[in-house]
Amino acid sequence: MSYKIMEACNGCGACVRLCPADAVSGERKKLHVIAEDLCIECGACGRICPRAAVLNGGGMVCVAVKRSEWPKPELVIEECTACGICVDACPVGCLQFLGMPVESGGHVYPCLKDSRACIGCGFCSIECPSDALVMKRPVKSAGS
Amino acid sequence: MKMPYMGKILVVDLTRGVMEEETIPDRVYEQYLSGMGLGAYILYHRVPPGADPLGPDNILGFCSGLLTGTGSLFSGRWMLVGKSPLTGGWGDANCGGTFSPAIKRCGYDALFFKGTSRDPVYLYVKNGRANLKDAGDLWGMDAVETEELLKERHGAKAAVAVIGTAGERLSLISGVCNDRGRIAARSGLGAVMGSKRLKAVVLDGVKRIGVHDRAEMKNLSKHCIKWVNLPLPLPPAGIFARAGALMRVTPVLLAQDGLLYRSILKKWGTAGMNQVSIEMGDAPIKNWDGSNVDFPLEKSRKISPAIIREREIMKYHCYSCPLGCGGISAATGKYARIHKPEYESILALGALCMNEDLDSVYYLNELLNRAGMDTISAGGTAAFAIECYEKGILTGGDTDGLELKWGNTEALVALIKKMIRREGIGDLLADGVKIAAEKIGKGSMEYAIQAGGQELPMHDGRNDPGFNVHYSLEPAPGKHTTGAHLYYEMFQLWKKLKDLPNPGLFITKDGKFEIDEDKARAAAACSTFMSLANAAGMCLFGLFLGATRIPTFEWLNAAMGRQWSPEEYMVIGERIHTLKQAFNVKHGIESRDNFASGRALGVIPQQEGANKGRSVDIEKHAPLYWKQFGWDTETGKPKPETLRKLGIE
Repeated sequence: MSYKIMEACNGCGACVRLCPADAVSGERKKLHVIAEDLCIECGACGRICPRAAVLNGGGMVCVAVKRSEWPKPELVIEECTACGICVDACPVGCLQFLGMPVESGGHVYPCLKDSRACIGCGFCSIECPSDALVMKRPVKSAGS
Repeated sequence: MKMPYMGKILVVDLTRGVMEEETIPDRVYEQYLSGMGLGAYILYHRVPPGADPLGPDNILGFCSGLLTGTGSLFSGRWMLVGKSPLTGGWGDANCGGTFSPAIKRCGYDALFFKGTSRDPVYLYVKNGRANLKDAGDLWGMDAVETEELLKERHGAKAAVAVIGTAGERLSLISGVCNDRGRIAARSGLGAVMGSKRLKAVVLDGVKRIGVHDRAEMKNLSKHCIKWVNLPLPLPPAGIFARAGALMRVTPVLLAQDGLLYRSILKKWGTAGMNQVSIEMGDAPIKNWDGSNVDFPLEKSRKISPAIIREREIMKYHCYSCPLGCGGISAATGKYARIHKPEYESILALGALCMNEDLDSVYYLNELLNRAGMDTISAGGTAAFAIECYEKGILTGGDTDGLELKWGNTEALVALIKKMIRREGIGDLLADGVKIAAEKIGKGSMEYAIQAGGQELPMHDGRNDPGFNVHYSLEPAPGKHTTGAHLYYEMFQLWKKLKDLPNPGLFITKDGKFEIDEDKARAAAACSTFMSLANAAGMCLFGLFLGATRIPTFEWLNAAMGRQWSPEEYMVIGERIHTLKQAFNVKHGIESRDNFASGRALGVIPQQEGANKGRSVDIEKHAPLYWKQFGWDTETGKPKPETLRKLGIE
């Protein structure tokens, strides 16, 4: 089920910029709409919306979360087969084949190349056939 | 219910520049799945009889597999389908890389192109919007250059399928490339794309792909991964090569378990078979006239798997592959980082032409991949030309001065460059051996090794007669990716389908050459299973693991929410296989015209080497094979009652 935007929308356009499926449209400062046939239910619009104006596929109001707290995939390399399903599943292309540990026998593993581009949708984790990607909320390191 | 298919296709009319989405009814997916099944369904009904393969009436389809993108493994093959200009009948080729999921991410199960464009164009699909764009600036560029430029233009996440210059020049042995020179090479379908003046297809979508029971898909995938990762150490390459010699002389062999082949693929890739295949008699040598005696270990050592591995910088996995038989290699000269050449390419450009120079094989492999020309057919055609030259059928005057002698690397490189450019003798050879032999005459057809016009791959049917059966009797002849005695052993289908014969633990070599009902049932099972697998988008190498270790039927059930039995799925395979044969009948193909060349069948058996004295009587095999499908045992045409039973209109 597609996400929906409600009247509370102030047309700030944050969701338009973030939507990887080009599903959101609307004039600036006016009510925006989500094209049902394009929405992939990644939830990015709901997480970014400062007005709590987005309903998810189940009809629940989405709660905005600070972007720095959006969950990110972490690789459990022992479980990873380098099959690339996660790289394909990522709608924003932030996962790429980059890492080749010395002991890998030449196999190249996926890495979160552009952590800031990640929208926290978790599709990589959902589609991974070996449960090698775990979505985790970033932990602030000491002093940061 | 969430289904693993998108339920839609995109039909592009290149003559009118019009694109139409079509909804495909659920019953079509239930009868044919997707991939090759959907491709056969559309082409059978829509390509008119007598259609010129290079004319506007032919349809070229890019089809994704039903299991692609469902969390299953080894399921990332996309299928290219069309009426083949090389064989005149059903044509297909498939390829891995990342293109198959990209089709579904754009919301389609397949893209079909009809008509011909006046000017070069490419299709660009981005998030539900499809556009035909001018490709004037891309025409004349090689496949890798074109892909790089299109990714620069449309983003690195886009998947690109593209023809090189061979397809543009309508070479009948050209294919379609993706992921920097991986290629759906066979059946000459690159020329169909060239004839439509369609340079590339660029796909950039993010659609979700449905699955009925994702948790079960994962459970099944984890079971499969366990077998992929099960340790089974291999001996060093040199010792492994000698195992081939042992297999040559021993009269009884152990039935092959695909776990061994999995280890070979994991360590060396397909090139792991380079030496062992020559030693055991699997690899054709010197245009199928030679044997292991002509290319002994001292020579094959130069193409040893160990050397191929030394040149590998990293492994390459196609989408959804946990094995990674591919590799990225370092090479000398103009192209520094290239796809590791496959066994087929190394043998076709190497031992088949008596060429011992590995550098030239790497170079030619990359050159051909970039041109989008099939390495199997190009090597086979070069070997044919060399034999014609050696026998005086072709002279220096015909070859633009090239001394086409066995093992003359320099001349071989020059010849293949000419074929790519259609220059001089290259123009004569750029459409494969059969057309070249028809033009040359002088008895040269005897040296044109092909089936139905398609050059034979690097597996000798005088060593494994199953290859000759499938080369000769498949609707798309001359391909090695459907069946063989060896494949049947490794598929282990009898563990899932109780009526199928179990070949047992020990197999006598002479027994393999006996022609009986069980052989025909095994061959038919391979054809049926691979038709099903190609509809699902499965990789042959994954299927070699064996039917209880790679859960094809179970994945299909979990993805679609069915409880169908393996037998019920095999009926789908049978339907697809019969529909391809019906396509051939509709287009006037006589089944017997597809029989492999006499030399490959061993009509005159070899006097020395691994396959000494071996021959395969395809006339005896054919009726038994056709009978399994309910096809006429005289003509190979599907009987009306068979078509009715399978629901083919």
